[in-house]
Amino acid sequence: MHALYPIILFPLIGFLSIGIAHLMATRRNLRLRGAGVIATIFMFLSFAYSVFCFFALRKTESGLIEDKLFTWMKLGGLSVDFALRLDSLSIVFVLVITGVGALIHLYSISYMHDDETPAKYFAYLNLFCFMMLNLVLGSSLPHVFLGWEGVGLASYLLIGYWYEDPLKVNAGQKAFVMNRIGDLGFLVAMFIAFRYSGTLDLIEFQKTTFPPHILPAFGLAVFFACTGKSAQIPLFTWLPDAMAGPTPVSALIHAATMVTSGIYLLTRLFPTISSSELVLCVIALTGALTALLAAVMACFQSDIKKILAYSTISQLGFMFLGCGVGAFSSGVFHVMTHAFFKALLFLGAGSVIHALGGEQDVFKMGNLRKKIPITFLTFTAGWAAILGLPPFSGFFSKDEIIYQALASPHGSHLLFGIAMVSAFLTSFYMTRLYVLVFMGESRVEKSAEPRLHESPPGMTIPLVILAVLALIGGWFGSPVHLGASSEDGGSLQYAVMGCSVLLALLGAGLAYRKYSGRVKIETTFDPFKIDRFYEFTFGKGTRGFSEVCARFVEEMVVQRVLRLTSAIVDLSGNVLKIAQVGSVQAYLMMMLLAVIAILAWFFYGVGLNGKL
Amino acid sequence: MELQPWMVLIVSMIVFGIGLLGVMIRKNLLIMLMCIELMLNGVNLSFVAFSKIHHLIEGDLTVLFVMTVAAAESAVGLGLVIALFRTLRTADSDQIQMLRD
Amino acid sequence: MENYNPLNALMILPLMFFAVSWVMPKAVLKLYAVFGSLTILAITLYQSSSLLFTTVSSVAQSYVIEQRLTWLPGLGIGLSLKLDEISVWFVTLTALTSVVAFSLRGIWYRKHPRLFCSLGFFLIFALNTAFLSTDLIVFYLCYEAVFIPMIFMVGIWGENQKATSVFRFFLMSFFGSVLMLVSIFYLMNVYHQTTGAWSSQVSDLMTLSHSRSANSLAFAFLGFFLAFAIKVPLVPFHGWLKEVYVNAPMPATIWLSGILSKLGVFGFIRFILPIFPELCVRYQGWLVTLSALSVLYPAFLAIRAQSPKTLLAYSSISHLGFVMLGVSSLKATGVTSAVLLSVGHTLESALLFYLLYQIEERKEGLTLTYPHGLAKRYPTLFVALFLSVMASVSLPGTLNFTGEFLVLLNAYPVSALCTILSGLGVIFGAVYMLKFFQQLGLSKKIDVKEDAGATIRDLCGYDLVLFAAIFAVILYGGFQPAIFLKGN
Repeated sequence: MHALYPIILFPLIGFLSIGIAHLMATRRNLRLRGAGVIATIFMFLSFAYSVFCFFALRKTESGLIEDKLFTWMKLGGLSVDFALRLDSLSIVFVLVITGVGALIHLYSISYMHDDETPAKYFAYLNLFCFMMLNLVLGSSLPHVFLGWEGVGLASYLLIGYWYEDPLKVNAGQKAFVMNRIGDLGFLVAMFIAFRYSGTLDLIEFQKTTFPPHILPAFGLAVFFACTGKSAQIPLFTWLPDAMAGPTPVSALIHAATMVTSGIYLLTRLFPTISSSELVLCVIALTGALTALLAAVMACFQSDIKKILAYSTISQLGFMFLGCGVGAFSSGVFHVMTHAFFKALLFLGAGSVIHALGGEQDVFKMGNLRKKIPITFLTFTAGWAAILGLPPFSGFFSKDEIIYQALASPHGSHLLFGIAMVSAFLTSFYMTRLYVLVFMGESRVEKSAEPRLHESPPGMTIPLVILAVLALIGGWFGSPVHLGASSEDGGSLQYAVMGCSVLLALLGAGLAYRKYSGRVKIETTFDPFKIDRFYEFTFGKGTRGFSEVCARFVEEMVVQRVLRLTSAIVDLSGNVLKIAQVGSVQAYLMMMLLAVIAILAWFFYGVGLNGKL
Repeated sequence: MELQPWMVLIVSMIVFGIGLLGVMIRKNLLIMLMCIELMLNGVNLSFVAFSKIHHLIEGDLTVLFVMTVAAAESAVGLGLVIALFRTLRTADSDQIQMLRD
Repeated sequence: MENYNPLNALMILPLMFFAVSWVMPKAVLKLYAVFGSLTILAITLYQSSSLLFTTVSSVAQSYVIEQRLTWLPGLGIGLSLKLDEISVWFVTLTALTSVVAFSLRGIWYRKHPRLFCSLGFFLIFALNTAFLSTDLIVFYLCYEAVFIPMIFMVGIWGENQKATSVFRFFLMSFFGSVLMLVSIFYLMNVYHQTTGAWSSQVSDLMTLSHSRSANSLAFAFLGFFLAFAIKVPLVPFHGWLKEVYVNAPMPATIWLSGILSKLGVFGFIRFILPIFPELCVRYQGWLVTLSALSVLYPAFLAIRAQSPKTLLAYSSISHLGFVMLGVSSLKATGVTSAVLLSVGHTLESALLFYLLYQIEERKEGLTLTYPHGLAKRYPTLFVALFLSVMASVSLPGTLNFTGEFLVLLNAYPVSALCTILSGLGVIFGAVYMLKFFQQLGLSKKIDVKEDAGATIRDLCGYDLVLFAAIFAVILYGGFQPAIFLKGN
């Protein structure tokens, strides 16, 4: 059998070596400069090996490569192996993670040039890639869960990377906790799977038929986990806050890879999940509503990264919509194209921020297209892709989803309508961003002007590569490769395509009209105030409940139980103390009475039994 | 009328009873000590009577033993009473309540 | 010594160290204590290596070591010791926890150090005998004997309201233990009535459940249950824990959370499950519910805890709730995963308290009013703390995750609701443990003058090796729990 472990081994070695070197260096107050290069080399090695595995996969008959590393848990009827499994689904993810990941590592070398502890950053990045690869290559549910939680950990570490700012640390904590809430769903799904099938292997357990009342529970539990990881309703408020981390982190984790784990999980479990109409309905509806909600919220943001964050949530909603109408392969296809253009957009935003010396407010930018041309051109490519303009990548994937929302047996007009409106809004806010940053009049602050410069090649090369991928990525990754049916939708499909392109252009035009030329400065506006709502109900609720527990329940009930024991002792002492009168004669009287009583009992007993 | 052992027993009962009552009723410590001696002597009498009844010598030996111990104990008791008197200036047992809660 | 048995070493060795510690010169006492505990650990590992490291249950059975010495033959009481798959872990944990506890430098090595060392070794002796014994009376004696070192330790080197806290601790535990003693006598009596012989061996008393109805033994079950429920502790009998943990000196806290709580778990596994099988099944609902409550309720209390030590105390109760959830599933697999999780809990709580003490030491050295923002100054220490926090939060890859996952997996068929409620405890665990870490290490940079007496260095040397060794076990158990599970 072909070995798969080098794919995960390279980032692991990178993490361990850089991490330990970093610890040893900080004790001596040194700064490791070469860490970024080493980390990037490991990632490229991993990518190279993944490409090698891709070709190996195509040569196999079964379309499956398995590499068992060791037996993990074996207890009673449960047997879980630590094994890697590669098939046509996971190879897509592996290539994206290692490829885009390597590019982002390269970008980070220049971006984190001035950072105090670059080694720590790259160690965390490698750790993230290791965990993410485990997630998509794992052969059993607990193995996927290992990667699932591992990426949550890496996300926490990277969001709160600049840990001296309590806001950033809190953002990291929020991400971790919200992910954890979703993880409960994952755990419950594992318990259900084991109970009814006796195994947790991904292929094996899906062969059993679950009882009809349990199947929706399983599907909903899995989907709940996905909402946590992929930032859907109701667990999405962590993603905008996660922008507190360095921009390459946002590109890698919160655009290209970690947030797509939910799609991976759903697709991996699709035989089981698609047997339940209810679950598919919930997924599709949630995805569509999230897409719409996030798109609306993105229109009101003024921070460049937050706009892209809400855009990510919205695009993820599209992917879930695709899965929910049964078109899992188009969801995965959109994952791939989205990885390209969203990472591109984020890295481009990073380039803009870098050029302006840290400015992130869109209303303090403008007319940058001449100052930072490469960034501008690549950003344009990303913008065209996300709008869904043909023949760029986004067009193929997004349109497929919108078409399936209408045409698939699970689809409906409602879903189609919501998808179209979201696509329109996507075009609107992305063009708004594009125009505000690169066109119109310059609103850049005077102090930042002299430092405006194009980013170094370390940052622009990944941008260019990603731009090329965003442009042509749609051609080689069509759903046919992923095993979807290749029926031609005929005229309906062309009509949908035409409609969506028209809507995109309409949105772009509207945004251009409004935001080029003189622009009224907007501040960030939160129309739904969901974050505040969560904080109020769950945050305050939990804290209030803890307070109640500690003050009332703990004090009144528990301590009373405790004091009861000491009260019993005190009480018995007090009762017995009555006999201690201190008078000798009283004691003597008591002794006498006791002796008489004993003698009486003795003789009474003798009298009864007739013997002693 | 010859002296029968049961008569001695009755006398010993009476002596013991007087001693017991005296200890319970009288307040003066010295009187209480004397009553304790009475109780011991009452028991001695009963031992003598029983040794006569059962024709055993152990009873008489016990009497000697008890008398020795009684003598030692009353010496100690008297010493305690005198020490107590020196502290409390009274031999009234009702006044000794320092260990009372 | 015709009666010599390898198990005797586990009892005699601590006693020897106990005796010798009275004559050791004060200057070398810390070294002596660490050396003594490491020796005990080494001997324990050596004695039980064949039992510890097998991965197949049937093979492990052949390595069980037993010994029986009669003490009161008329009453059937004897020193019967048994080292089997369950007790071997607890005996090893005793030795390991003692290594960690003795390794802390503090006021206990300056004020009455000989007393401290001797108390510690006496504690090891009592614990070893308790974990090894299968005789109820001997177990009870050692169970009570454990109080003596604890009371002294908290009373002499503790802080704040040490007197009331230890008083409440003792009283509540003793209340349960006395009930257990009465139950033991009752059981022995019933056994005598049934078979005419006296015995206090577990193996003999187990046969009682066949001959007598469950109802007649219900009172005894209640006595045992209360005693161990107070010890573990299960909510609502946990009131004593927070004060004692917080007011005790750190080695005592490590002993308390690391191994004394396991006495209660061990009591459940060794005594209650075999002797009262029908009653356990009948009251399984209660057991499971109380365990789930023990996971969730302290989690709420921990969220609002003000001081780090209080938070760790409540988190300890929460983890022990998981362990009890595994025990209450009443299956061999559930009990094995409970043992696995209790090993994990001991390791991570020992690490957490140990590192917390290191941080507080350094905080005193810097004369800060509150320990914030120290991660920048002491990176290795905080990396170690973060790794321990990740173990506590049951990140997959750690022994704690394997244990918790298997416990929940086995508990799910018993009661889905309680399992899900305990899963909520996982979420809250993340909340308060991260808060714990962030409060201590992160947030604003502290401006400390360079000459503020900050001569204490980062985690290094022996401390670092100790941490690395224990964390290595945690990592190993996360990926290869086979030796703990023994393919049960």
